[in-house]
Amino acid sequence: MEGVGAQKKARGSMGLLKLSKLSKSFGGLQAVKEVNLEINQGEIFGLIGPNGSGKTTLFNLISGALRLTEGSIRFREEEISKLKPHEICKRGIARTFQIARPFADVSAYENVIIGALNQASSVSTAARITDEVLSLTHLLNKKNVNGKNLTIPERRRLELARSLATQPKLLMLDEPMAGLTPTEVEEMGELLRRIRDMGITILIIEHILQAVMTLSDRIAVLNYGQKIAEGTPEEIGRDQKVVEAYLGEEYVIADS
Amino acid sequence: MFFSTPSLKRAIFILFVMALFSAPLFVKSDYHLTVLIGALYGAYICVCWNLAAGYAGLFSLGHQAFLGLGAYTSTILFIKYEITPWVGMFVGGIIAAVFGSFITFVCYRYRVKGMFFAVATLAFGFLLQALFMTWDYVNASTGIWLTLQNKPQNFFFMARAPYYWVICGLLVISLLITYCLERSRLGYYMVAIREDEDVAESLGVNSSKSKVIVMALSAFLTALGGTFYAQFYLYISPACVLSMDPLITMQVGTLVGGSGTLFGPVIGWAFFSLLGEYLRGLPFGGTAVGVISRIIWGLSLLLVILFLPTGMIGLGRKLVGLLPWIRKKASIRETGS
Repeated sequence: MEGVGAQKKARGSMGLLKLSKLSKSFGGLQAVKEVNLEINQGEIFGLIGPNGSGKTTLFNLISGALRLTEGSIRFREEEISKLKPHEICKRGIARTFQIARPFADVSAYENVIIGALNQASSVSTAARITDEVLSLTHLLNKKNVNGKNLTIPERRRLELARSLATQPKLLMLDEPMAGLTPTEVEEMGELLRRIRDMGITILIIEHILQAVMTLSDRIAVLNYGQKIAEGTPEEIGRDQKVVEAYLGEEYVIADS
Repeated sequence: MFFSTPSLKRAIFILFVMALFSAPLFVKSDYHLTVLIGALYGAYICVCWNLAAGYAGLFSLGHQAFLGLGAYTSTILFIKYEITPWVGMFVGGIIAAVFGSFITFVCYRYRVKGMFFAVATLAFGFLLQALFMTWDYVNASTGIWLTLQNKPQNFFFMARAPYYWVICGLLVISLLITYCLERSRLGYYMVAIREDEDVAESLGVNSSKSKVIVMALSAFLTALGGTFYAQFYLYISPACVLSMDPLITMQVGTLVGGSGTLFGPVIGWAFFSLLGEYLRGLPFGGTAVGVISRIIWGLSLLLVILFLPTGMIGLGRKLVGLLPWIRKKASIRETGS
């Protein structure tokens, strides 16, 4: 596929996104506290943690929806923390939302073409990209259906399609598998792997631990706004701090 | 969305344009031509307002300011500097565009949106009207008269028909611009911004830049209408071109006909001006006619807005939807099967 994500498949080689001492406070509440993170190009990076641990806030900071309080966000060596959301999208970061927000009163096709226009130089190029992306996400037969008339799994795929159409280098997904059946979760996982193989780096927030563990190359764990662990899925699975964060200190896990 | 199939829209448009331009061949009476010109002028300013309010969501309650800026710029340039209104028209348009861009930019820079933006534009309109009412350079509230002369090069015609063709041309051009906008990158961005501005921004849409561009375009075109008003009615004053009256025209036509659609403003205003003319002809006698016609006018506006929020285009779509073959197309769109 020529249009979307045509990049070298150098896995885990270059630091694509670098968060340094990233902090965000809302008045007295510190939502994100001195988070240091580095995402490499070509990997699938999972972000997990209990509810309210600051994962979505982190996404909002990276995508420009929120202004950081302290720290820095560097994308491809460029400081992006002061840029507006549309400028950040132009530089190659796309994100989806926790609750799917398709444009309700326009068709799936129109939804996606708006994303495609991010990089496409003309409406006709955008149209071509739209068809490619709709085909990849199995939405081609629904292209004329209005956003509000799509089922939940279709809306999630539409969110994904729309963000993909912007031709991102980094795709940030906020719980893309929530509300899906086990079969649909597997299909989504397959789709994400295909996207990664196209050269797009993926940062994914997900609560379905089984899926995140099998999908991710590396994982970071947030709790109360701080990073408490980072490593491969195996390392994270064995980490006592992670277990405590999810289940509380009284539980002890037998060695697996 | 039955009316949005390109070939049907194009066909309607071409027929419409043909009928429009050929009217003076059949309508010979000066009175009737004047009525038609008035109606077309109203439709034109509705289409202009629709670009900003219907497509970009900029609910401008001060749009008459652009009308006034256009009318006064070309008139002053002509009377004091002998510059033909054909040129003055474009100068007025540019001045209006600058004002429109500035207001929109400043408002969006400081997050003045939606109804607050409407109030800001309302203030702007009143401000400009007050300014012109006390400014001697433009003859303050007395206004300016233009003398009719046989000088087409100065945008004066002795007969009505040429004026009719000019306003036709303006209307057709504004509709073409709307049509092209709908299909352009900017048009898609407008849809995204209307649907969900935050999501649009996350997809790379620069919403403030897009709004500024559309407002500038709308202001420019509205100002051209202002010059036409001056050249046809031959008298301008803050009460004519800077008051709420033209704004009410713009709003009524657009909202009744269906904002954010191509033909909505035209159909809406056509309906209302015909209604107005009919009411004026009723034998109620004396000043009662004016009062009663306004009451009925207001009531029908109220009814349309309460029960037909999508305007007459929406009603048209519902009626056309009763035809079986279009119904089938609609169900495919709804369910995707």
